[in-house]
Amino acid sequence: MAITDYAIPASALHDAFRVQGVNAVTTVPDFVQFALHDAMKSDGAVRYIECSAENQALTTAMGLYVGGMSPLVMMQNQGLLNCLNTLRSVGLDAGIPLVLSVGAFGREFANLGQPITKSQRACVNLVEPVMAAMGVPFFHLETVNDLPKVAEAFATAKEKQRAAVVHIGHYPAWN
Amino acid sequence: MSIQVIEACFVISKMRGDNTIIVHTMSAMPMISAISPSPLNISSVPLMGGASGIGLGLAIAQPDRKVVVLDGDASLLMEMGGMAQIGDQAPANLIHVVFNNNTQFGGVANLDRPGGAAFDFCAVAKASGYATANRYSIVPELVAGGPALIETPGPHFVELEIARPSKFTRESPQLEFPDTQFQRMGAEAQAMMGALGVSK
Repeated sequence: MAITDYAIPASALHDAFRVQGVNAVTTVPDFVQFALHDAMKSDGAVRYIECSAENQALTTAMGLYVGGMSPLVMMQNQGLLNCLNTLRSVGLDAGIPLVLSVGAFGREFANLGQPITKSQRACVNLVEPVMAAMGVPFFHLETVNDLPKVAEAFATAKEKQRAAVVHIGHYPAWN
Repeated sequence: MSIQVIEACFVISKMRGDNTIIVHTMSAMPMISAISPSPLNISSVPLMGGASGIGLGLAIAQPDRKVVVLDGDASLLMEMGGMAQIGDQAPANLIHVVFNNNTQFGGVANLDRPGGAAFDFCAVAKASGYATANRYSIVPELVAGGPALIETPGPHFVELEIARPSKFTRESPQLEFPDTQFQRMGAEAQAMMGALGVSK
């Protein structure tokens, strides 16, 4: 496969999230998801909130959710590792079923098509096992064929009343 | 001069209307829960630093209600970047109150917090873009300033100079936290969603 085959169109990701009712984004911008950030920020029906740190992205999303909105939390893998305690409090103890879209920052191209746990880089290979250890459902998107996992993530978060992670394996395409 | 937590919570309870949401944490948590119980109260626990973010989200999602955040000083320092978010989003219905006792684990260990008494929270709030930022060190100042917080568009920032509580002694051992400490925020979130008519 060509490297571009791993680039899911941002418009398809945007649509997949919007179909789930997403009408707000809280984010510390992610180097991987630039095209999706652009799509979300230019969507007039989405309240786009830039946060200073990932903890605040989670807590602000919690307030939006309790207040009746449907937020998506966007961050990169390093940010996810930065906010584990807030994820524990909001997404597990309080049972707020937030969905996080997390980019695989630093993933070497040689790892594309391989399990992310085989990446040589800790910020890539740790994410899935750390989420498993926490009991946070994890949905990895490698190609466009994995897009149905977005709906699965929302359904699982709602059913289990806990946060879930959609993991974006490569830079989304700008189309 | 300083204000007792119970005095501050009493004044705030008198200022809140029926539709006001209160997000609370740290030293204000037990007192506001006792003085002004409501399904529109939610605690940020055990989540030091989370109150202002939760309050911001609620203020955006519920623009027709006042949202009052009762924050701790060390908590606010922990997530100070959230003040820039509040300035950015500028929710007119948000009132952010910090209980500044210059202490971490007040009433338990009374450890000093970074910055000391000279740290200027109001200066940070002003620089972040809050509509107003005022420091009150006696109850009449808070009482006098209250109506403007309600009647004029925010976001407003209020720093209360809070009396440092007495600390535990050898005769008052630290207690085990009950399960409810970890279930409370989720239960209150569900209750608030019910009171707001939010169904998911």
